[in-house]
Amino acid sequence: MQRKFDISRDIMTKEDLVQPGMLSCQGCGASLAMKLALKGLGRRTVVVIPACCWSIIIGVYPYSCLNVPAVHVPFESAAVVASGIRAAYEISGLEDVVVMAWAGDGGTFDIGFQALSGAAERNDDILYVCYDNEAYMNTGIQRSSATPMGAWTTTTPAGSLKEEPKKDLEKIMLAHSIPYIATGSVAFPDDLVRKFEKTRTIKGTKFIHLLSPCPPGWRIDSSESIKVTRMATEAKIFPIYEIVEGRYKINIYPGRDLTVNDYLFSQGRFSKMDESTVEAVQKSADKKWAELVGFSCEGG
Amino acid sequence: MAEAVKLCRVRVISAYPITPQTTIVEKLSEMCAGGELDGKFIKVESEHSAMAAVVGSASAGVRSFTATSSQGLLLMHEVLHWAAGARLPIVMANVNRAVGAGWNIWADQTDSFSQRDTGWIQFYCESNQEVLDSVIMSYRLAEKLSLPVMLTYDAFFLSHTSEIVEIPEQEKVDAFLPAWQPSVKIDIDDPRMFGGIVGPEYYYEGRYVMHIDSLKALDLYPKICSRYRDVFGRSYDIVEEYRCEDAENIVVTLGTITSVARITVDRLRERGESVGLMKVRMFRPVPVERWRAVLARAVRVIVIDRDLIAGAGGVLSMEVKAVLGGFKDDIMVFSAIAGLGGRDVTPQDVEGIVEYARLRDVADETPIFWGLKQ
Amino acid sequence: MKLPKRSLMARQYAFNSWKDFSERNISIGTMLHNTTGTWRFVKPVYEDKIPACQNACPAGNDIEGWIRLLQKGEEEKAYWHLRREQPFPSILGRVCFKFCENRCNRNILDATVGIKELERYVGDLFPQQTPYPHLPPYHGKSIAVVGSGPAGMSAAYYGRVLGFHVTIFESLPFLGGVLRTGIPNYRLPRGIVDLQFQEFKDMGIELRPETGVGEKVFLKQLLRDYDYLFLATGLHRSFDLKVKGEGFGPGIISGLEMLGKIAGGESPGLGRHVAVIGGGNTAIDAARSAVRLGCHVTVIYRRGETEMPAHAEEVEEARQEGVEFRFLAAPEGIDCSRDGRISGLRCSEMELGEPDESGRRRPLRKECPGFELKAETIIKAVGEGPEFEYLGGLVNPDELTAGLEKGLQPELEDGDAGKIFGGGDISGPDHTVVHAVASGKRGAIAIDCDRRGVILEDVLNHIRIGNGHALSFSSYMGWKPVNRVRQDPHAVVDSKRMVYEYFEKAPQVTIESLDPSVRITSFEPYRSTYSSDEAFYEASRCMHCGRCTECDNCLIFCPDISVLCRDEGEFGYYIDYDYCKGCGICFAECPRNAISMVDEEEEMGEED
Repeated sequence: MQRKFDISRDIMTKEDLVQPGMLSCQGCGASLAMKLALKGLGRRTVVVIPACCWSIIIGVYPYSCLNVPAVHVPFESAAVVASGIRAAYEISGLEDVVVMAWAGDGGTFDIGFQALSGAAERNDDILYVCYDNEAYMNTGIQRSSATPMGAWTTTTPAGSLKEEPKKDLEKIMLAHSIPYIATGSVAFPDDLVRKFEKTRTIKGTKFIHLLSPCPPGWRIDSSESIKVTRMATEAKIFPIYEIVEGRYKINIYPGRDLTVNDYLFSQGRFSKMDESTVEAVQKSADKKWAELVGFSCEGG
Repeated sequence: MAEAVKLCRVRVISAYPITPQTTIVEKLSEMCAGGELDGKFIKVESEHSAMAAVVGSASAGVRSFTATSSQGLLLMHEVLHWAAGARLPIVMANVNRAVGAGWNIWADQTDSFSQRDTGWIQFYCESNQEVLDSVIMSYRLAEKLSLPVMLTYDAFFLSHTSEIVEIPEQEKVDAFLPAWQPSVKIDIDDPRMFGGIVGPEYYYEGRYVMHIDSLKALDLYPKICSRYRDVFGRSYDIVEEYRCEDAENIVVTLGTITSVARITVDRLRERGESVGLMKVRMFRPVPVERWRAVLARAVRVIVIDRDLIAGAGGVLSMEVKAVLGGFKDDIMVFSAIAGLGGRDVTPQDVEGIVEYARLRDVADETPIFWGLKQ
Repeated sequence: MKLPKRSLMARQYAFNSWKDFSERNISIGTMLHNTTGTWRFVKPVYEDKIPACQNACPAGNDIEGWIRLLQKGEEEKAYWHLRREQPFPSILGRVCFKFCENRCNRNILDATVGIKELERYVGDLFPQQTPYPHLPPYHGKSIAVVGSGPAGMSAAYYGRVLGFHVTIFESLPFLGGVLRTGIPNYRLPRGIVDLQFQEFKDMGIELRPETGVGEKVFLKQLLRDYDYLFLATGLHRSFDLKVKGEGFGPGIISGLEMLGKIAGGESPGLGRHVAVIGGGNTAIDAARSAVRLGCHVTVIYRRGETEMPAHAEEVEEARQEGVEFRFLAAPEGIDCSRDGRISGLRCSEMELGEPDESGRRRPLRKECPGFELKAETIIKAVGEGPEFEYLGGLVNPDELTAGLEKGLQPELEDGDAGKIFGGGDISGPDHTVVHAVASGKRGAIAIDCDRRGVILEDVLNHIRIGNGHALSFSSYMGWKPVNRVRQDPHAVVDSKRMVYEYFEKAPQVTIESLDPSVRITSFEPYRSTYSSDEAFYEASRCMHCGRCTECDNCLIFCPDISVLCRDEGEFGYYIDYDYCKGCGICFAECPRNAISMVDEEEEMGEED
């Protein structure tokens, strides 16, 4: 039996809110993520896009590949522009519209962090999605605070690879007491679509952090995009879970046991890592997983 | 200010507190909480976010407002450009305050002058009544032109003093300023991309359109002002001249110094001197024709700047010189710097400046640093 | 089929003057004019391939095809689809060596799919063979099949399907060859074989039992009366042990002879203690038959258990039934009692040396005293060879093995002679039933090619599938596959090409056999087959390697919305090549390698 994805054929074939002709690279995880997100959210969605790969992927003036309204905004302000749009809709009585900020890891972890924190603290009714390709890919693969330890980027070249671990954004968002936090991945599309569908019924700030592969940035072949992303979850480097009203729940228990080694050396960007860093990564992944399992079990 | 915002039926306000704008924020917050103002108040975590939030709400087609000052205005600089380029009719109150380093919270025009290139229409107000009236007129102007408007007034002199103002009736304001019907806004049923990347082949034309639309304010605003006078009785214009018809020497000011200068002009006139006053209200777009018309017959033009740009001089005097240059090169333009960082400018000070200039036959190369501790 | 081109809906705009600009920087069109398909240098195509099971089957059985039909609930369609390449499911579903199962890609995940058992299930569903659909009329040419074993049966069957008059000549009174004389009833009940020949009669194949060539009829006559001959006489001459005392007479019997007697209803006259010499299936069949006749049986084999050619399952079942095994032992001499009856077998111990030319390690006598085995009957099952006396000198036996595949044209003084083809155990190196069936199929095709006057080699190259010698009869006849998409008959999907992450483990159905103590009381068959629920479940374990099952992975994972569903009622997907960037994600995430990445320059066919 095949473990078929639990996405109905209807959802996959109904109106395309994303149309082809977009400017993404071959094998781009971000364009797949948007396609899946809009499958879950539907037509009545406004997308707020700061500087990121999607600000290019969407198309050049006067064309857009999206069949939903999209607003480009300054780099650091995705979350708060979304808050502004939401305020406008609330005061005009316009309901049942999703306002989604769609930002990369740079615009979320780094420069956009303040606005995100502000919106989350106010619990503004927006959906904030960070599609994380783990570096500033749009400007040519520079490191961000979402870049994992040991990765090569143009600003962490060989000999000076990134030493700091990836920022644990879910914990930070948890500290803001928002109603919904989730991680997701394009390798588990049914889980991702379900999460987007779920956010439609939740009021308040919703945060989804999804792993989005980037073949040129990760130094992988475009056809391996999904496979490598799947391995990230199987190796417990990017676990998939949600925190609903502060209660943890692991969504994907890996079907097979991979060591971080398998994941790391499937990509060119980790090929220069030394053994001690690999060990450190393995330890940290194991620790994080044990912690998650603990949180999940105790129901909070 | 808060009253005016309420009268204009602003629906979304976002603001971050900074002295001396805090009173506006507090009042508006109260009004929203109490239901007096049917609007949403977003308590943002920085001024950059404050402007970004109203960019969002204005894009969604809802009348929006924010207020700030000095450091806050500078922080939102990036988004000021964005709001103007996105052609959003946001009205913002900026309380003129000095900029750090050299931290100073008192009146100074450096902050709003440093934003003169952002594409925002700028007005400088002299009194609280003028502020209130300007808000209402500004929304009408902004929404007609699809360009944002910045209203400035001096810190503490206006923001923290009391003045009796006449508050117009809501029905009259509604008639003068109907609800905003945006021709373009975010629309679920007509999905578009707003502000996408524009290549070299089209960017120039976009900016050109913005430029000529900005210039339309020069014709449109006087019409709005005369309508306002018809409805509410108070009369304003792009520029106001006081006793300039036969003046040999014309003082050019903006902000609260204008009130002081007016007193000085009267005094000097009593003594038989030929002095007049040009009050600058609209600063952007540059009212080239109007300024030339007022200043054409002067022998000396004395510009008082409550700002000093290191290595360059006073902004207002640079603008006046640019307008007069090539038009009437024989007019002597004197630049005076006074009142920086909230230092008081008295009628005596203005008189001193005028007297200084009046006795000269050649304009000074360097500005008159009035009141500088030698 | 005309598919709508989305790019026709694209429009490009040009602004010639600043007056064309609205005040707001908003979009006015889609990006559909940007046909990103131009970025590609390789492109995906839906291309069905040969799964590992089909590739391993000597007959090229389209296993995935009939399992797919079975899963859809179309049992009769599944049955006829199976019979395209392998006409005897009830037989092979009981006795086949399961080359398919050994190679099934599911072995890596948990356990193979029970293909053989499913074949039996399907075959047994239609025991009263429904008439063969669409039998063609006779075109006038005829084939004489000599030997009614599996090779002959196969040649006769395919010969008739190709429109020939077919007559089967068999020297024994009963038909089936090694299926009757070599395989005991408890493995293959004779009723099944009889039913098959009943169907042959219904198909119009003439059956002539008790008509041995070289006895009742002669080759020369057949060569005159028939256009073609297919020799499938098998290997029935047992090799000798070459030990002292071998020629002594009663008490020594060949395995084939013994099994033949049992098949014919005679008692083989075995003593209380029986020694079986040999390690092949004949030896095991003989041993297990002897046990059922109440004997105490020991099997002597000169190499070790792992080197035994017999099926491991058979050996295991033999053990369960009480057969004893002495490995690394070889007979030296036969002892007799004073009255001339055999009393025992002297054996020596062996050890394994270097490999010989067959690749197996050579057994060498150890320098130590051997042992004595008590035995009244010795059954020799050390191999069989052909008997070619019936050729009557018309064909040189040495030329036969090579020539049978291409066809031999013997010289007759008076007039034309038919061409001689042949197959089965007499021609191939592999001596299994399924190889014989494949050989018969090949023979029929070769004969038909000769009739049509086309070059055999060209045809064979065209209809070969996988990377072995198996031939597709469907291909020869131009019959469509179950999935109507592009096919690559030479691409084999082995386990490396499968994405196991998309499959969940599911245990294989186990079939119960009767208890050994019950089994040995008779020659009745002791294994039941699947129930219909079990068959459905086991069929669903098939991973459909290399064949699209509309699992939607490609549809879900394409980042460029370039995988689209075909219309309602049509199978599968199509690629929008206007936009497909050739990233290869669909190819990599297809769980079963049903997509191929081909060169961008390649021509596309109608179904692409």
